[in-house]
Amino acid sequence: MVIHPDLGSQLVNLCSALLLLTCFAIIAQRRLSACVDLFALQSVFLAVTAALVAFLTGAHHIYIAAALTVVIKVIILPRILKAVIERLNVKRELVLNINIPSSLLICGALVILAFYITQPIISLGFLLTQDSLAIALSIVLIGFFIMIARKKAVTQVIGFLVIENGLFLGATAAAYGMPLIVELGVFFDILVAGLIIGVYTHRLQDTFDSVDTSKLTGLKE
Amino acid sequence: MSAVALLLVVPLVAGFVSLGLRHARLLHGINLATMLLLNGALAAVMSRVLREGTIQAFHNLILIDALSSFILLIIAVIGLVSSLYTWSYFEHYRTQGDVTPARMSRYFFLFHMFMFAMILATVANSLGVLWVAIEATTLATTFLINFFKRKTSLEAGWKYLILCSVGITLALFWTVLMYMSSVRAAGGIDATLNLSDLMGIAAQLDPHVVKLAFVFILVGYGAKIGLVPMHAWVPEAYSEAPAPVVAMLAGVLETVAVYAVLRSKMVVDAAVSPGYAGNLLIVFGFMSFGVAALFILVQRDYKRLFAYSSIEHMGIAVIGFGIGGAMGTFGALFHLLNHALAKSLAFFAAGHVQIRFGTREIGEVRGLFKVQPLTAAALLTAALALVGMPPLSMAVSEFSVLTSFTKQVYASDTVHIGRFMTVTVADEVRNLGLIVCFLGMAVVVFGGFMVRVVGMVWGDPPDRLKRGETWGLGQVAFVVSMGALIVLGVMMPDSLKKLMDLSVTTITMR
Repeated sequence: MVIHPDLGSQLVNLCSALLLLTCFAIIAQRRLSACVDLFALQSVFLAVTAALVAFLTGAHHIYIAAALTVVIKVIILPRILKAVIERLNVKRELVLNINIPSSLLICGALVILAFYITQPIISLGFLLTQDSLAIALSIVLIGFFIMIARKKAVTQVIGFLVIENGLFLGATAAAYGMPLIVELGVFFDILVAGLIIGVYTHRLQDTFDSVDTSKLTGLKE
Repeated sequence: MSAVALLLVVPLVAGFVSLGLRHARLLHGINLATMLLLNGALAAVMSRVLREGTIQAFHNLILIDALSSFILLIIAVIGLVSSLYTWSYFEHYRTQGDVTPARMSRYFFLFHMFMFAMILATVANSLGVLWVAIEATTLATTFLINFFKRKTSLEAGWKYLILCSVGITLALFWTVLMYMSSVRAAGGIDATLNLSDLMGIAAQLDPHVVKLAFVFILVGYGAKIGLVPMHAWVPEAYSEAPAPVVAMLAGVLETVAVYAVLRSKMVVDAAVSPGYAGNLLIVFGFMSFGVAALFILVQRDYKRLFAYSSIEHMGIAVIGFGIGGAMGTFGALFHLLNHALAKSLAFFAAGHVQIRFGTREIGEVRGLFKVQPLTAAALLTAALALVGMPPLSMAVSEFSVLTSFTKQVYASDTVHIGRFMTVTVADEVRNLGLIVCFLGMAVVVFGGFMVRVVGMVWGDPPDRLKRGETWGLGQVAFVVSMGALIVLGVMMPDSLKKLMDLSVTTITMR
């Protein structure tokens, strides 16, 4: 089966846009477990994008990355996070530093900023899809915003994982995936980071009786 | 097995063996043996690099040139002295019953993984693998920082994990951009992130991409180096972690992070005009130096004092690399080695002081010379080295960095501050201004540091304290580090000189 190149790049663009959309959904969501579900959904879109790029470019090692995305980011990490939420009983509403409407506005501005920064690169026009790099940077910036604007340790983890998703989108859509050994290493690091952060949230809960990171104020000048 | 393979396999094996053991002395013994073996393997690798030049092995996955072997030397030597010190340090906690054998075995597992990750970062050819290894050091050390499981150390470990992991994902974005650019330059999906290939096609890399990439990398790995404003984790982690771990974090991990920046600076320098990366480094270096100098003035906790001094010295090294040229680069490289020696010595001494006095408050520690004479000598030597007092070796390197201001004249006479501000000044005026700034901050550090350390070592100790050193392998570590600082200040062994000269050539590409 041969897909017209324009159609192919349109499809990759569509998938990238869906990833960005789930970011906004995470921002707008008040319930913690729903945030985890949305992260899993975002990872599904990421895997689809990767598979699509693998198909279009014939770079078969990207299929491996797509498969690993499904295993680690769609299945394992969300399960760990759900287990943490279950145990900590923090399903209730999120603690927000910034309310939802202004959060959405700020994220909109971040997307514009990302497109502005990447403009000189995008105009070079050698990429499979021109906008995917800008979208990837937007997702990274929104991930940072999630980490700053949400207080719970678990939401900070989701922010971190969203940043990783953005980076992976950048790597697959803009550069046809990284060399295989690098990709494997990155997945390994993310998995271990997920496990370690899971352990930390348990310990934070036990020690501070809370996973509200704004209570971490014992160390000062 | 070749020496190169030994470098990677030994810590890995030692780590997993430690995980299965519960006997404290055996664990310490294995740790020491590992470090000795590593030093042996490194000596073999180094002599081969000096004889034959760059080593590439295992299908180009490994690249060891003079610069990598110089960094490996710092890792192996500080690893060895830390292991000597570890024995004495944990002996105290073990006899107190604070540390169970199971936790000791986990400690050594993580410690060996930490060593493995740092060695991998230094010998990797691919910039992607370099990233993976540096992220792995964060993951391996966060539980080491949290070793004592106090409320405050939990907080320090969490902040360290989040700040460094997130910071370093920015550096991954850089890796992605660099790869994208190399895909275009190499014309297809055969592109690699290998240094050996990137240096070849550097001139074809897209300058926009490379410039954007270097900002991300400096912020990303800068968090790991502890450059201002990404330094928030440094004082907290350094004051909470066990002393041998801090010695490794401050002495070695920061050096490896600087190495990551250097490697990418080499690619960036080849792709765009050399001033770009250098100026960014100088700006960050001066910021770190200045902010750290101010915080040193107000410290009451000696571990935090040394932590801020780390930020200061990394600032100096980064300034040296930023100015570049043979002089600046040589000074900065030598500064990395000296800082690793002096700072690990400072934290070893601080660990012994904390065990004896039971406090981290500078005001409550008095008369150290009467309580623990050798520890006091070590603390004083480390402090004198850290303020750049001759004839200790750190004075030499700091002076080289300072002198390089006058030697280096850029082709362009503009200083880019960030993206939006450009200041045009004559080179002489700018250099003079920078020298005055540098000296001013050095004086502030000197005053702030010496007042506190002198207060700790002289005077009369509280009566309740037991007098006399608790002798052990820790004192061997003191003597070795003190000796190295003094000897390197007066003379430099030929092979080290040659290795550093070769590294300077590698970095400056001349």
